[in-house]
Amino acid sequence: MRARDNPFRTERILQMRYRLQNVTWAELLTRCEALRYRAALVGLHGSGKTTLLEDLEPRLRERGFDTHFIRLSEEERAFEPGFLKTLCAGLTANDILLFDGAEQLNPLAWRWFQWRTRHAGGLIITTHRTGRLPTLWECRTSPDLLAGIAADLLEVKSETLHERVNVLFRKHHGNLRDALREWYDLASDKTIKLR
Amino acid sequence: MSELKIDISQVRTAFQPGEELMGTASWKLDQPPRAVELRLFWFTRGKGTEDAGMVETVRFDRPASQEMRPFRFKLPDAPYSFSGTLISLIWALELVAEPSKAVARVEIVVAPDGQEVRLDSVPESETGKIAMSWGTR
Repeated sequence: MRARDNPFRTERILQMRYRLQNVTWAELLTRCEALRYRAALVGLHGSGKTTLLEDLEPRLRERGFDTHFIRLSEEERAFEPGFLKTLCAGLTANDILLFDGAEQLNPLAWRWFQWRTRHAGGLIITTHRTGRLPTLWECRTSPDLLAGIAADLLEVKSETLHERVNVLFRKHHGNLRDALREWYDLASDKTIKLR
Repeated sequence: MSELKIDISQVRTAFQPGEELMGTASWKLDQPPRAVELRLFWFTRGKGTEDAGMVETVRFDRPASQEMRPFRFKLPDAPYSFSGTLISLIWALELVAEPSKAVARVEIVVAPDGQEVRLDSVPESETGKIAMSWGTR
């Protein structure tokens, strides 16, 4: 199969949005407000934290906030020199920082970051563990969630995918990103049945 | 209502590198757009991070709400359109109207003989033969 035709290509994965379960966006935003917009989205690798943070952004903008998306990762563990100074220079109560990968900062750097951004109206972070800020939402995955996403990508019914879903979910310990990346390889191999 | 359309001369979608690409861009919008731009670019699709390269843009000045304008591009010598299992490189023309952000896109092939280069994997038995032939020289 050509890469451009692979149902699991990056472009299509990125189009998949976070699927809230057992809560509505209105409820989540109410909880966010109750936490004074200082809260964490917590979850393991590949559980959808970044996607949820991205999906929160337009909803916070709808509420009149100016949002600023910042990101650290295992490849880029620290901010560029001068970045924080520039970022924090004009922060007001109308600004909300959306910080993806807050666990990359060590405890001291985290404290310093919190102090520097204290004038912002909000700080929503993603992190692997609880404790840095009150938890707004814990991102969990399940075989059913993986089945639903794969079914949408393949345009089939999710019930037809359970065998492969269970294998990939277990193999990648619930990391949906890695499971979908392996599914890409399986889909590109003409000798393997797609489901 | 916003209708944008790209028509390539002779209804072609496959081209040789370095060839000339001509056609017309047309649009029908509710209000005169601030700007209309035609872009020639390539992008990748596949498993990893996506990449893109803008090659040329044509900006249509003082556009009316309904118009048809001719365009002409000289296609570059590279990169070729190609597809493997991990990555595809795709050429496209895109017509964008500001500020509505209405878009029309046409994908084309730019490669020798107008055929997308296929990077199919080499069967294991053949790779073995190649290795052996190298080994015996």
